Amino acid sequence: MYNKYTYLFFFFIFLNTVAQNCKLQITGTVKDAATGLPLDAANLYIEENKKGTITDSNGSFTITNICQGEYHLILSHISCTAKEVFITVTNNKELELILKHSVHELEDVLITGKSSIITNESTETINAQKITDNGSQNLATLIESIPGVSSLKNGNTVAKPIVHGNFGNRLTILNNGIAQSGQQWGNDHSPEIDPLVANKIKVIKGVGALEYLGSNLGSVVLVEPSSIDKEPHLHGKASYFFDSNGLGNGVNFQLQQYAKKIGWKVNATAKKSGDKRARDHFLTNTGNQELNLAIQLEKEFSDRWKTDLFISSFNTELGVLAGSQVGNITDLRNAIREEEPLNTNTNFSFNIDAPKQEVNHHLLKLHAKNRLSDSSFIDYTIATQINNREEFDNRRNRRTEIPALSLLQYSFFGETKYQKSFESGLTLKTGLQINYIDNANDPDTGVLPLIPNYSALEWGGFITSRKKWKNNTLELGFRYDNIIQDVRRISVDLPRRIINENNNFSNLNGSVSIKHRFNEHFTAIYNVGYITRNPAINELYSNGLHQGVSTIEIGNLELDTEKAVKTTLEFSGDVNEVFSFKALAYYQNISDYIYLQPKGLQTTIRGAFPRSEYEQTNADIYGFDLSTKWNITNSLFSTGKFSFIKGINKSDGNIGIINLPSNNFAFSLGYQFPKSITIWGKDFENLELGINSKHVLKQNNISVEQEVDLSIRDTNGNVIEELFAPIPSGYTLFGLNMATNVQIGKNRLRITSKIDNLFNVAYRSYLNRLRYFADDTGINASLGLSLKF
Amino acid sequence: MKFTNLILSTITIFGLYSCSSDDTIPNEEEVITTVIYELAPVEGGENVTFTFEDLDLTGSNPPVITNGVLQENTTYTGALMLQNKANGEVEDVNLEIIEEDEDHQLFYIETSENLTINYTDSDENGNPLGIETTLTTGDAEENIDLTIVLRHLPNKLTSTAKEGDITGVGGETEADVTFSINVQ
Repeated sequence: MYNKYTYLFFFFIFLNTVAQNCKLQITGTVKDAATGLPLDAANLYIEENKKGTITDSNGSFTITNICQGEYHLILSHISCTAKEVFITVTNNKELELILKHSVHELEDVLITGKSSIITNESTETINAQKITDNGSQNLATLIESIPGVSSLKNGNTVAKPIVHGNFGNRLTILNNGIAQSGQQWGNDHSPEIDPLVANKIKVIKGVGALEYLGSNLGSVVLVEPSSIDKEPHLHGKASYFFDSNGLGNGVNFQLQQYAKKIGWKVNATAKKSGDKRARDHFLTNTGNQELNLAIQLEKEFSDRWKTDLFISSFNTELGVLAGSQVGNITDLRNAIREEEPLNTNTNFSFNIDAPKQEVNHHLLKLHAKNRLSDSSFIDYTIATQINNREEFDNRRNRRTEIPALSLLQYSFFGETKYQKSFESGLTLKTGLQINYIDNANDPDTGVLPLIPNYSALEWGGFITSRKKWKNNTLELGFRYDNIIQDVRRISVDLPRRIINENNNFSNLNGSVSIKHRFNEHFTAIYNVGYITRNPAINELYSNGLHQGVSTIEIGNLELDTEKAVKTTLEFSGDVNEVFSFKALAYYQNISDYIYLQPKGLQTTIRGAFPRSEYEQTNADIYGFDLSTKWNITNSLFSTGKFSFIKGINKSDGNIGIINLPSNNFAFSLGYQFPKSITIWGKDFENLELGINSKHVLKQNNISVEQEVDLSIRDTNGNVIEELFAPIPSGYTLFGLNMATNVQIGKNRLRITSKIDNLFNVAYRSYLNRLRYFADDTGINASLGLSLKF
Repeated sequence: MKFTNLILSTITIFGLYSCSSDDTIPNEEEVITTVIYELAPVEGGENVTFTFEDLDLTGSNPPVITNGVLQENTTYTGALMLQNKANGEVEDVNLEIIEEDEDHQLFYIETSENLTINYTDSDENGNPLGIETTLTTGDAEENIDLTIVLRHLPNKLTSTAKEGDITGVGGETEADVTFSINVQ
């Protein structure tokens, strides 16, 4: 009776009901990334059909009555960053979701994911949300929230990071795995990186990141853009931020898509800000503007071959405080004695005039990963960078338009890395790198250059091994680098001529570290490393007046390589999952530490200038970083941070080392509403309110005689009135912050707002060179809007 | 292997680029190497010339200073000459100062009442410039210090600046030289 057509008929009926099946369900569990334990009360929400649920005490969830289709599932949990997962539902689906949430995480510090290679090094991370929430901040200011990290500033726009007392030539900054190649030697040169391009910024406060080429004395800052989400639809994020002080406006757009094994991501930032204001006056000519673009492409050729391309362009124009361009020490003394900086305007302005800096930095990186087996792979990377820095001063006869300093640097980098994991728990990694730099002064500046033209060829190799057993991880590593410098310097004496110098340096780097997990609540890491750093070009060949600091800086051709031994000991853990802590003590002994030794005053036709020469000594830098978090209740939490650092120059009677941060501590108290708050019919989720404070003590490790000598002298050089540039007093700043998320249709809006320097305190910071001329910035209210779509 | 080739070829390209970049010594356009203060007695007689020359600027050679002797109770016409000899020829910096006279001022600071210096020139706005002066001596005295300062972008509108007093005028010092004068 039933013929084949009937069968076919029933088959089609069946197929039809499957196609329209809206009785499917999604089940699954949500686990904590750090502990692997189930997370209860996590929110799940399907964007397309607005269905949602909450996980139970076993971390399990079920969402029923789902039709077949493609969905975006949003996963969130109190005090966690929301996560979006793309799923295709054809049948009942079971998911295992992992959310980064743990009491072990301190505020804005996330335990790094599997991409992190250095397990034992003391690492702290700033996550994507914190980067977006602080969209108007530059890289150095952003990572200042990490204990042990400060920044050396030249006003509000120029800031470079200091990690455990190391900065500039002693701190490597890696942009997407490539050592940032620019003019790091200058204290008034910021790293040319847009933090909004990064998904996370890691600071390794260790004994040497052996895997990377570049000069450092142990600490490394890694700026890492995320890989592109495997998500076939076009997604993005549009952010806007506003600062009341300086009327700063900024926008950032991110767009990405991953279809047919090709992924792309575009990230663009534009910022403009005018003159900032201290409590009592404008900081004339402190505006800045920035325009950045980054493009990422990823392609999977097969299961074995994956390539990615990264292009970024960073372009900025930075005004330098008008009153800070001074000539000789008489001018500096006069400027210091003025209440208000010279050339201060009574009106706000967006104009950026001389003195100013214009900097462009471009990076192109091509990377390929070849998976040889489940346990081994090879990475190939090539990259090139162009860095162009121009600095303008007020000059005579329309020369203000011509940069007084103009440097163009090209660099090229190539790398091969191989990694293999063994079943015994041993991981081996080895690699070879080569880097070529060409750095040239523009001869049309009309000014003798401070640093000479040079090229440098550097190659190096490393081998690291990691072995895990029981609750221990042991790491051993070794690195060797060779640097050849070809320098064309201009003679100091007359007649001026070009002298060719060739240098050949070798650097050695070795480290051992052991991590022991006593139990779920207590971990210790011990690191010890030996690191050498060859003298940098400016330390060898600086010759002339460093305009930014009004000092005649003279290089030293006799300098030897710096040799450092650094030890760190870190304890981290928690008490009953309510109170968590991370404590790190470090000690670094540096032989042949290179520093600028003041050599009194030099009389020139422009008057007297302080003269400093590069010399070597033995130095100790040691300190202690502590961060804590206390979950007072489920909604109320408090954090505390403390950084102590001391540097001793063992020559000249154990004087302090200049330009080290003063001891500081910070507190915060935050409250996150357990339920969403409804205002104007909108649900404000994860609403968080907080108050914070930062206390910076006076820099007491250096004596006042180490500051610029401004004493008034008669023509025979006898001191009539002794005067040194003052060391600023300590200060306390308070702030407020707010953050919340709102669902608007299919999109999620994050609103952040904060007030810095709430009481509009007039203060000066030891690490800000403009302290000689003006107070630091006063109160600032900022607003951030970030829409995910 | 392809990668190695790529790396090597690119390094070669960059290597060639670096060789082609020319290493030239820039002209030192902004500097003043020589300050000459020439004094001519109003009632006739021989000129007295004070010279301060610093050819290597921040280099280690000290400046060469030529001082002079003035007659007591005499009035001189003073002419200041600023020169740049850094590039092998004598460049007259006075021309640049006069062109931007409203952005510049010369100050004469003496340590004795036996020297009096007055401005005899002015800028576009009628404020003193200081290239042309008169110098009047009083009684005989040895080792009087005379400091001559050139400021770029001072506040020329203060009452002190108009009287030649440098206090609080600000700006950037472009020349700051001191001569020792004997009045006899």
